Amino acid sequence: MNAREAILARVRAAARTGRVPTGHAGSPKTSAQEERSAKALASRSEDLLTHFSRELAALGVDCHVESTADAVRARIEGLARDKTILSWDPDRLPYEVGSILPAAATGAAGRSVQAGAALGVTGCHAAIAETGSLVVLSGPGTPRTASLLPPEHLCVVRRADLYASMGEFFRVRAADIAAASCCTFITGPSRTADIELTLTLGVHGPGKVVVIVGP
Amino acid sequence: MNPSTSFPHRVSDALADAQLRTALDRATSQLGSRRILALATLDEADAVRDRARAARLKAIANLGAYLERFEAKLVSNGAQVHWAQTPADANAIITEIARRTSTRVAVKSKSMVSEETHLNDALERSGVEVVETDLGEYIVQLRRDRPSHIIAPIVHLTRQDIGRVMSERLSVPYTDDTRELAAIARTRLRQEFLRADMGISGANFGVVETGTICLVTNEGNGRMVTTMPRVHVALMGIEKLVETMDELDSCLKVLARSATGQKVTVYTTLVRAPRGAHDSDGPEELHVVFLDNGRSRMLAGETAEILACIRCGACLNACPVYRTIGGHAYGDTYPGPVGAIVTPGLRGLHPWGDLAHASSLCGACREVCPVRLDIPAMLLSLRNEARSDQPRLMKAAMRMFAWTATKPRLYRAAMKMMRSVLAGRSSEGWIRRLPGMAAGWTSSRDLRAPASRSFQDQWRNRRRSAAR
Repeated sequence: MNAREAILARVRAAARTGRVPTGHAGSPKTSAQEERSAKALASRSEDLLTHFSRELAALGVDCHVESTADAVRARIEGLARDKTILSWDPDRLPYEVGSILPAAATGAAGRSVQAGAALGVTGCHAAIAETGSLVVLSGPGTPRTASLLPPEHLCVVRRADLYASMGEFFRVRAADIAAASCCTFITGPSRTADIELTLTLGVHGPGKVVVIVGP
Repeated sequence: MNPSTSFPHRVSDALADAQLRTALDRATSQLGSRRILALATLDEADAVRDRARAARLKAIANLGAYLERFEAKLVSNGAQVHWAQTPADANAIITEIARRTSTRVAVKSKSMVSEETHLNDALERSGVEVVETDLGEYIVQLRRDRPSHIIAPIVHLTRQDIGRVMSERLSVPYTDDTRELAAIARTRLRQEFLRADMGISGANFGVVETGTICLVTNEGNGRMVTTMPRVHVALMGIEKLVETMDELDSCLKVLARSATGQKVTVYTTLVRAPRGAHDSDGPEELHVVFLDNGRSRMLAGETAEILACIRCGACLNACPVYRTIGGHAYGDTYPGPVGAIVTPGLRGLHPWGDLAHASSLCGACREVCPVRLDIPAMLLSLRNEARSDQPRLMKAAMRMFAWTATKPRLYRAAMKMMRSVLAGRSSEGWIRRLPGMAAGWTSSRDLRAPASRSFQDQWRNRRRSAAR
């Protein structure tokens, strides 16, 4: 009997002893219920944005809310000036942000070039109001490195991509998640408290995260 | 830590370490209060905990079917699945993957299971350089130490300790500034990420319906090891499953809150497949190794419920025993109340059954457990199991006691005699040393001197004076 068969046989025999207590999920919140509460929050996108901004502030993330695509680009121009940039492919960035970053390296660049960038510029596939999380799906033109290697990460969020909760995102975007090799939730800057429980930012990932919310 | 010494010896060593006591006191109380504040930010926290518990219990009750479904999904996503019965099997599988992929350097994000199998030693013996990348684990590796807390591995060290080991092992000027220490580690480990051939991770959860490995890290090393090297190996215990993404959501809601007091860990990574044909990064090969190592045996025993643990570490911070002796005294990979159940389960009651006594059964662990595991009940059942190893004389004495205790007159007479014997041995209300067979009791703890009069005596007197 190989390892797989042996383990499965033992696990099945164990299950027959009935030693595992049964959990009572109490009154499990149904998807419908949760969707209602999500909708209640989403009924005014103003609320989602307010909540999202508040969470970002608590995480130490700068958040700029802009009302036009021009304003988004102007804001990024100011923040990115004189910095070497690693970004998603231009056609993957919203609000034609790629047009103002002609010198930016992309995932196609060599590893040392990517690792040397001072600023990572990305869009995101969703943002979660409840936790202030940015969701990036890895795929063609959306390299994982851009939100990971540079010491600073600038993320452009479209207001329509705000979701109330992680659970809502899982339900609504299940197909997108299932198509990506990797789905990452980014909630604030990289941090550790391993040394004497003292908070230190930027251990491996970016120590600074800036969010720009467009119309 | 020296695992070859007995548990009482390791406890004595820990108790004598004043620095350890201070550090533990500060860390565990801070983590404990952060947990309370974080749970307060969760709507219907109790209901979410119930859902997380139900999800995990369902997974271990249906483990056979779920493992097969999970495996099928992983394979259809493009991952390669391996099954390991023992730590040696798991190490051999991973060593073979390293050999086949010409791996020279492997970077690791935190994995308790790899501590369980001593994977680093195995890889190094076969010529692979292994680098721990969680800051705490990196320092543990530099010191050739062992982690002492599930989520805060170097809770036993001061920043001066860390400064010293970094300056010695990395040849950098000494500093005990926390930021500078973290910056040194970032620079060093960044080079390792860039040159590593293989990334090794654990798995916080495996999601059956999607074939997803969920990893959470605050530092970002979990993302690094699944992004930069060309091979990713996830080593996971067979029990770490949830069926659906919705259930994963419930578990994640309570995991970070219970562990560090965050609403959610900074990076939650859902690894589904190796890099796509048109992706510019991500591993070319994805391997998932399932490890049994005694888990299927535990599933058939009295402590099956512990397999639903999500390894948040909250029970450590709440436990008066852990808070006093720290993680190393437990002698193996998993410390604290959860370790006192998992270690005897994985490694046998000899000699690990002793750990079940490292508890006052106060129930604080059960109170804080995000999936409401009945840890005290499991500790009691382990004590009960370990009883069959007691010496014959001890068993006879216990039978004698049981017999006496069912005869009120005899019991009262015996207690009266004991009180007068013990009174002669006590000083300041404590008995520090007993002779003969009873010496075992006082070798690791003091005995409270009995009250001069029994409760029943006092009660009778009260009734009498009240009637007057």
